[in-house]
Amino acid sequence: MKKVLEITLGIVTSIGGFLDVGAIATAVQAGAAFKFQLIWVVALGTICVIFLVEMSGRLAAVSKHTLVDALRERFGVNFYLIPFLAELVVDFLVLAAEIGGVCLALQLVTGVSFRWWALPVAFVLWLLLWRGTFTIIENGTSFFGLITLCFVVAVFVLHPPWKEVATGLLPSLPAHNQAHYWFIAVAILGALISPYLFYFYSSGAIEDKWDKSDLVVNRGVATLGMSFGSFVSIGVLVVAALVLFPRGIQVDNYEQAAMILTEPFGYWGFILFAASLGIACFGAALEVSLDQAYVVAQALGWNWGENQHPKEDARFSMTYTFFIFTSSLLMLIGIDPLTLTIFSMALTAVILPLVILPFLILMNDEHYVGEHRNGIIGNSVVIIITILTFVMAIVAIPLEIFGGS
Amino acid sequence: MDRVYLIRDVLDDQLIDRKKRPLGKVDGVIIVLRKEKPPRVAYLETGLSTVAHRLSPRLGRFAEKIGRKWGMRRGKPFRIPWAKVRKSGIDVEVDLDLDETPVMDWEKWLNRHIIGRIPWAG
Repeated sequence: MKKVLEITLGIVTSIGGFLDVGAIATAVQAGAAFKFQLIWVVALGTICVIFLVEMSGRLAAVSKHTLVDALRERFGVNFYLIPFLAELVVDFLVLAAEIGGVCLALQLVTGVSFRWWALPVAFVLWLLLWRGTFTIIENGTSFFGLITLCFVVAVFVLHPPWKEVATGLLPSLPAHNQAHYWFIAVAILGALISPYLFYFYSSGAIEDKWDKSDLVVNRGVATLGMSFGSFVSIGVLVVAALVLFPRGIQVDNYEQAAMILTEPFGYWGFILFAASLGIACFGAALEVSLDQAYVVAQALGWNWGENQHPKEDARFSMTYTFFIFTSSLLMLIGIDPLTLTIFSMALTAVILPLVILPFLILMNDEHYVGEHRNGIIGNSVVIIITILTFVMAIVAIPLEIFGGS
Repeated sequence: MDRVYLIRDVLDDQLIDRKKRPLGKVDGVIIVLRKEKPPRVAYLETGLSTVAHRLSPRLGRFAEKIGRKWGMRRGKPFRIPWAKVRKSGIDVEVDLDLDETPVMDWEKWLNRHIIGRIPWAG
């Protein structure tokens, strides 16, 4: 009974915490530009993320080591330096984008430019990390994040052509603008398969003192939580396809994106969109900030933990403080949040093999996971999707930047 | 102690003290070459300048220079005699007390000058 409750709580937090600035922005752009044609990419990314999240939990529960610890220990500092620096840069940009998402939500509601919100948002974010515990941060934001289910409700209110939506699960090419199609596909995969998610998840498992008895809960939460969570993402895409695609609106700012809920819900749709964007991005910003500190502290072997007081792990606390305020400067100087989001997601897709292929080696190493090694299905699925994402990224990103179709 | 592979089982692993508290990573292994005798493992090292030396000699010299100017230990890494080392699963346990080592110097400095001065730091 206790396990069922734990799995249920895990699923609820996964649903509430699934969306972030990247998932919202890429799904809205995909629906607006290519109707239902990119749903298969969300499904593909979700399958990969289910396997990877389960693996990060299993690694932590069995070896009592986080992914960062294990990567440095197994591959040495000369190799680990590359994914370490890549992750820090990508996390820095993603954190700026998440802070930007919260600021834009506030701009939508108040009319005051997002740039003015950068420092206040950074301060509140920092304050929560400074005073909160891991459980409060993990469960609190995910609970409020359940508001994002409004996108799923909106799908039912709008009565989509279900057969056409289901067809989107099968890969197909658009008649026009193929370079942009592949670029958005890469950004969707980058938003879903974020390395920060695995680093954060394995660190969380150590914070929550997981052991082998938690493996069942881990598998249940990873599979069901991520699957249900992806329905929210698909919900955003379908609503954008139903509202924006027929009007030929290509989304190049969040004001246009906010329109997608006004058709099903009227004025309250606008408020719901702003609340969903703000809460989802705030939750993700908390996770990315913590992730930055986890990655640095674990790579250098410091004491760390969100459940400790800042005085007990001063270097850890200093690290997230530094990254929160420096990332918020990108918003303060007025970098466009939507452009930053899409490019950080695409960049994430480029660095995926650097993190994921060594991760797979660890998950097949008896020294770390003993008898709980990966099976052939898990290995194959993750290798194929990661390499596919990487190849798509190195082809699609230059085409998007320099033009082409 | 059973057979230990220095590169696989020691280098880059987590160092923990006798109370299982993190002490840093094993950033370097010092081996002494002796005349007409086999080499002997003398120390483990932990410190950023050791990591920098492993990445590139130039980066190492740069880290040493910075360390001499601003470092707590004048940029010198902390050395742990091999006799104090016990292998503990994946980690490397050493028979030392974290509070009696200089590896927490930066942590203490940050606490005294920045973190400890901010309200609600604990």
